[in-house]
Amino acid sequence: MGFNKFFKGATEIGRAMGVTLKHLTQKPITVEYPASPVPLYPRFRGKHELRRYENGMERCIGCMLCEAACPTAAIYVEAEENDPNHPTSPGERYAKVYEVNLLRCVFCGDCEEACPVEAIVLGSEFAMANYNRRDFILTKQQLLNPGEPNVVIRPE
Amino acid sequence: MTTDLVNVTIDDRAVAVPKGTLVVDAAAKLNIEIPVFCSHPKLDPVACCRMCLVEITGPRGPMLQTACSVPVAEGMVVKTNTPQVKATQEATLGFILLNHPLDCPICDKGGECPLQDQTMRYGPGISALVEPKRHKNKHYMISDTIVLDQERCVVCWRCIRYLEEWEDKPQLGLFERGGQTLIDIQPGQPVNAKTSGNIIDICPVGALTNRVARFSYRPWEIERTASICTHCSVGCNVRLDSRTHKLRRIVGRENMQVNDQWLCDKGRFAHAWVNAEDRLTMPMVRKNGELVGVPWSEALQVIADKLQAIKKTNGADAIGGIGSAKLSNESNYLLQRFFRQMIGTNNIDHRDGGDVAALATGLPALADVMKPQYGPNPKVDTIFLFGVDPSEELPILDVHLKRAVRKGKAKLIIAHPRKIELTRYQGPYLGYKPGTEATLLNGLTAAALAAKAALEAKEGDQPAPQNDVSAVEQLLRDLCGVDPAEVKRAAEALAQSSNALIIYGPLVARGEAGQNTLHGLTNLALATGHYERLAYVGLEANSQGCRDMGLLPHALPGHAALDDKAAKQRLQTLWGATLPTKAGKTYKQMLDGAGKEIKALYIMGANPASERPEWTANLDKLDFLVVQELFLTETAKLADVVLPAVSWAESSGTFTNLERRVQRAPKAVRDPHSKAAPDWMILDHLATRMGTNWPYAAEHGITAEITKAVPLYAGLTWEALGDQGLQWDAKALNVQPTSQEATQQNITLYEEYPLSLVSGTVLFDDGNMFRRTTQMKDRIMPALVGLNPADAAGLGVVDGTPVIVRSAHGELTMAVKIEAQVQPGTAWIPESLPGAPVGALLNGSDIEHVRVQQK
Ligand code: SF4
Ligand code: SF4
Ligand code: SF4
Ligand code: SF4
Ligand code: FES
Repeated sequence: MGFNKFFKGATEIGRAMGVTLKHLTQKPITVEYPASPVPLYPRFRGKHELRRYENGMERCIGCMLCEAACPTAAIYVEAEENDPNHPTSPGERYAKVYEVNLLRCVFCGDCEEACPVEAIVLGSEFAMANYNRRDFILTKQQLLNPGEPNVVIRPE
Repeated sequence: MTTDLVNVTIDDRAVAVPKGTLVVDAAAKLNIEIPVFCSHPKLDPVACCRMCLVEITGPRGPMLQTACSVPVAEGMVVKTNTPQVKATQEATLGFILLNHPLDCPICDKGGECPLQDQTMRYGPGISALVEPKRHKNKHYMISDTIVLDQERCVVCWRCIRYLEEWEDKPQLGLFERGGQTLIDIQPGQPVNAKTSGNIIDICPVGALTNRVARFSYRPWEIERTASICTHCSVGCNVRLDSRTHKLRRIVGRENMQVNDQWLCDKGRFAHAWVNAEDRLTMPMVRKNGELVGVPWSEALQVIADKLQAIKKTNGADAIGGIGSAKLSNESNYLLQRFFRQMIGTNNIDHRDGGDVAALATGLPALADVMKPQYGPNPKVDTIFLFGVDPSEELPILDVHLKRAVRKGKAKLIIAHPRKIELTRYQGPYLGYKPGTEATLLNGLTAAALAAKAALEAKEGDQPAPQNDVSAVEQLLRDLCGVDPAEVKRAAEALAQSSNALIIYGPLVARGEAGQNTLHGLTNLALATGHYERLAYVGLEANSQGCRDMGLLPHALPGHAALDDKAAKQRLQTLWGATLPTKAGKTYKQMLDGAGKEIKALYIMGANPASERPEWTANLDKLDFLVVQELFLTETAKLADVVLPAVSWAESSGTFTNLERRVQRAPKAVRDPHSKAAPDWMILDHLATRMGTNWPYAAEHGITAEITKAVPLYAGLTWEALGDQGLQWDAKALNVQPTSQEATQQNITLYEEYPLSLVSGTVLFDDGNMFRRTTQMKDRIMPALVGLNPADAAGLGVVDGTPVIVRSAHGELTMAVKIEAQVQPGTAWIPESLPGAPVGALLNGSDIEHVRVQQK
């Protein structure tokens, strides 16, 4: 009985050590976040970004279709007429106010889908914690100048 | 009617419709929708878009015909859903869409666009065009307020037809042909019809859009409130579109008793004042000469204390209240209740209230004016306008009148010191000199009696006694400056008419001269048998309602005399208070007496300081002035306490229009950051501070109390009014004509003041409710004095010459505008021009003479 018990215990330890030893030789899964970046799936939907054309013009035309598509009423757009001499976007209309309320957003991507000019996209930024409720409302300036522009246009 | 029914079969369903009905309307009766673009129920058919093609079986077998222009015939068989019809609809839509820019995302019509809807329902789904689309003008301003996008236009002609058929101002036209066809204005002549905005409502695509509301709304984002316009007394039905507590857009709402579905440009575009930045948002009390913001409790306590103190030392009649016909029945009812109950005085009035000789009943019904165009039996065949200019004062009445003349063949007679726009219909025009109304009316009555006698003589074949009319004619020519032949024409038209409508306005009803005008008009109406249809129209949204509510120094609610026992009893029971018996002072008397026998004034929504410099000085002399306002007006700047009120869009109320129609204006928006409060709430709290508790929990409670206090309003509760309003019954009032001699007042002529001053209202003035609409600032009439070309030539002035206009009481610096509409010997200066209060030239009298001098 005594020996049996001892033997069983020893194999258990041995197996456990085996697992340990096995992982000792493998590459670590733990990510040194935030020191090193987290790998993301290509279709990950993170914080919103508003895009521009190459010439610097804003893509968004203030059509409010994203606002209409959003299931949580997280988007607020206020459109205005472009100054013909200094247009903000191509055409007659641009978004004077564009706000996304991250506390409401469920990152469904419907806004992205609704946009006729691919102006609003969900980027890959996921660290959105903040200290202040007010700071969860992204202004147009913040959306146009994301910390690290990282835009993936999904093919849908 | 029943004998004229025609039986047709549409999609195998039978229906009987009146003869002359169009196929498209017959189908609508069966709830069968036939898609249309050019067809519109308010416009004559042109059948130019081909969207409505359906299969109609005629003698030559089934054929595709336009449902919008083909009237039904007995036994007609119509099919709207055959493969052929479907193919045609697809092809038509495909054709319309060939060059359509499809910029729905930036188009204001998107979401409420018939082209979008019909493309989804009947369209081909894919575009047939592979070549680049044709390009035309986008963002093309055809007026200050309307943007045309020629690429989006489907050439349906609705806009063109509206301006032709309703406005009688063909300001838009078709240019080029084929695929290049364009809608355009004449070069350099923007659309300026006063109701031009209606073409935006009826355009079936986003080719015509509203510049004031441009890009500020999306149809799926807005809240819609059925309300009414409060710019004038027509009381057009509107829909207020709001979003994020802001009024974004106003569109017309159908009410076939009032405005059909039309609005004028002031009603549609001039709403920037509601959300203006400079609205008052907190109460202010004057401390050390400065108005400083205070909490409500403090402001109300100051008022309560001060009013009670003045009442104690100077008596109740040293305090006066001025309401406003721009405000609701509820606000004004409560103000007069506050004064009669809490202060104990009848010093309560409004502008053009106790000072004008009005009739209590208003127009018989606007629908009667509209009837000639819609109904088979013209309700009104002759219309006599006396001292009213509907084109400037009541624009939608103007549209109705034009239709009545053109479609209904009604006769239009006009007496006005200025040759107003409607005189273009060639009816008799009497351009009399201001102040000679009584003489003119006496002349008209004499001529009408003669005409009547002549008419009857023909039937009875007796020679009519020939009166000597030369003395009357002489007076008409010399004093009034009108041609006796024209007077005769007018009198004959009135005598021959079986249903004449006589309308007069405040311009001829003010003061003592106004009393004589009313006598003269009464005599004329009695002589011609049209007394029932003699009507006074006030010009403000609630001019009628203010009178009904008893916002008058000489009448209790319901037009009851101050000593009417039954009315007094009723109100005393309702209010639990005793009523003052002494007649109060009118608006003018209170302002003239301000600082003298009047020690304190409570002004709600009125701005007398902008009217006459003399009144500004008087208001400054008051012991205590409270102004309840939206803006820091000239009057508010003089106040001891300023109370911030809210507009018609921000509180609920009812308004009574010029035909006694009581209509609802529910609360549509609210500024969450403002401390401003509705009038009723302010007065209610003030009454509490002065020792009474009024039982109101909300506006509707006051509406309900009005139905008891004003017997004419019995049953007109908020719920009963609905969204089309209800007229109170004029018969219940039982007005009896009092025939009295109209005496001509003396007109003193001074050598040095050769011109008679003509004032009046213009639609686009510099008032608080208009000038904040920046897009329309160029349409505000500048400080101009209108002169007849002959007078201008005599003075050696041309258009734009700077001049000084002097009267015995003051002077104004203005520029000259030469206008043939201004009669010789007169000078035209409307009210509320920027920087030129015409009141500076008046001194209490409404008839004034001026001299125009080059600067
Ligand atoms: S991702 Fe979805 S929930 Fe978030 S803003 Fe876009 S539409 Fe709204
Ligand atoms: S982001 Fe796209 S959908 Fe949203 S308003 Fe701008 S253009 Fe329209
Ligand atoms: S502008 Fe509008 S209403 Fe006028 S023709 Fe074109 S589509 Fe019709
Ligand atoms: S006619 Fe009068 S009531 Fe109608 S929209 Fe114009 S101002 Fe308003
Ligand atoms: S709707 Fe009939 S042709 Fe246009």
